[in-house]
Amino acid sequence: MPPKYKTIRLVIVIWMTLVLLGAFSFGGTWLNIPKVAMLEHTARNLYFHVPMWFTMMALTALSAVHAIQCLRTNSPVSDIRSRTAALIAVTFGMLGLATGSVWAHYTWYEGTNIWWNFDPKQTMAAVQVLIYCAYFALRSALDDPRKRARIAAVYNLFAFATVPFLLYVLPRQLESLHPGAEGNPAFSDITDPIMRVVFYPAVLGFIGVGWLLYTQRVRLARALMMLRSIEEDNHY
Amino acid sequence: MMDSRKPSSWANGALAVLRKDLQLELRNKSVLGTLIVFVLNTMFLILVSAGRGDLEPRTEAALLWVIIFFTAALGLGRAFLSEKEQKTRLFLRIHTQPLMVYFGKLCYSFLTILCANVVSACIFLLLLGVEVVLPGLFILTLILGTLGLAGATTLLAAIIARTTRSGILLPVLMFPLLIPLLLATVESTYFSFVGQSFTEGGWTASLGSLLTITSFSGVVVVASVLLFDYVWQD
Repeated sequence: MPPKYKTIRLVIVIWMTLVLLGAFSFGGTWLNIPKVAMLEHTARNLYFHVPMWFTMMALTALSAVHAIQCLRTNSPVSDIRSRTAALIAVTFGMLGLATGSVWAHYTWYEGTNIWWNFDPKQTMAAVQVLIYCAYFALRSALDDPRKRARIAAVYNLFAFATVPFLLYVLPRQLESLHPGAEGNPAFSDITDPIMRVVFYPAVLGFIGVGWLLYTQRVRLARALMMLRSIEEDNHY
Repeated sequence: MMDSRKPSSWANGALAVLRKDLQLELRNKSVLGTLIVFVLNTMFLILVSAGRGDLEPRTEAALLWVIIFFTAALGLGRAFLSEKEQKTRLFLRIHTQPLMVYFGKLCYSFLTILCANVVSACIFLLLLGVEVVLPGLFILTLILGTLGLAGATTLLAAIIARTTRSGILLPVLMFPLLIPLLLATVESTYFSFVGQSFTEGGWTASLGSLLTITSFSGVVVVASVLLFDYVWQD
């Protein structure tokens, strides 16, 4: 493992520790957040829920970029990168769905039994997760690695081309309680400035964690690929 | 285009592919006949389970388009699988350009699913007793929606023809991608049933949806043209 990678990993780990400390600092400390009716301390979910989405978006774009690379160069490493980015993106997507659902249950739908209400943002995220599930189902139905790499990349890009329509269509069709939607105040208008002190580092930290998981899985997959090719060489 | 055996222009080639597929279809009438029987069965299920005349217009529009989507998922997967089964893929690849095959299959898919959809829509309106206030809007939505469906599904049909478990894969691959299309067509169909929204007429209210359907069809066809080579070639 190159020493630079180790250093970056250490920085990310310390960074995230500080973010977590900041996110959970109560009492008379500097980072204590003002209490808003209904939100109360659930507002701290902002530090987790929103950065998870940003990380998922970044990884989705990364997956598409490597899918293009895979089609252009036919390199198996691009396929590994594209597939891994999709896997980590879907993980963060599910975490984002879970944190969002819990948050909504205890604020928007407090006192009811609702966990899920087809909010446009929720629906979009769920569709994105479904697309990646389909992507992995497609991969499992292809046996030849080169063919799998190419056809999975095609599906990845084809799906990526249709996603912008969701952004346009969903808000017209479904009403939203989500901040930033039509008629609702956006993040910048309703959030106390003190929350930004933790929020922005949290965004960077989560993207860092996403990057760490992604590079780790890529290195593992590449090592496995190399091992397999050595085994095959010995076999013949 | 250098090769003299290949058709001179891609329009001619696409027409040749379309003619071949239509001739095969007319010869044994397998796909379209089965699709129409499927539509009849589904309609009957809905009629029996939901009852007549007491559905909301929104639900009726949604039901119609869900039926159409499932019919398409069943029927459109055949477009490239037939080449695989009859082992004619190599022949097509030698004698035509990839784009000719793509556009030929696109037209074939469009015509097949349009036939099935017209039958679905007629039976649906008749059996459920739906009153269409704006028939023009309804027909336009049906045609544009079919175009979007065929455009998105042709590339996916080519993809699943390369896989091993083709049967169940097409709905899984196509439904999440088609959600924007489904939402827009349902909204536009809804306005054609009720005629107007709170503030404006049906046509104005569904303009956004019609635009969405059209641009969706455009984007999926362009994306397919760019990506089709990679699926078609080995």
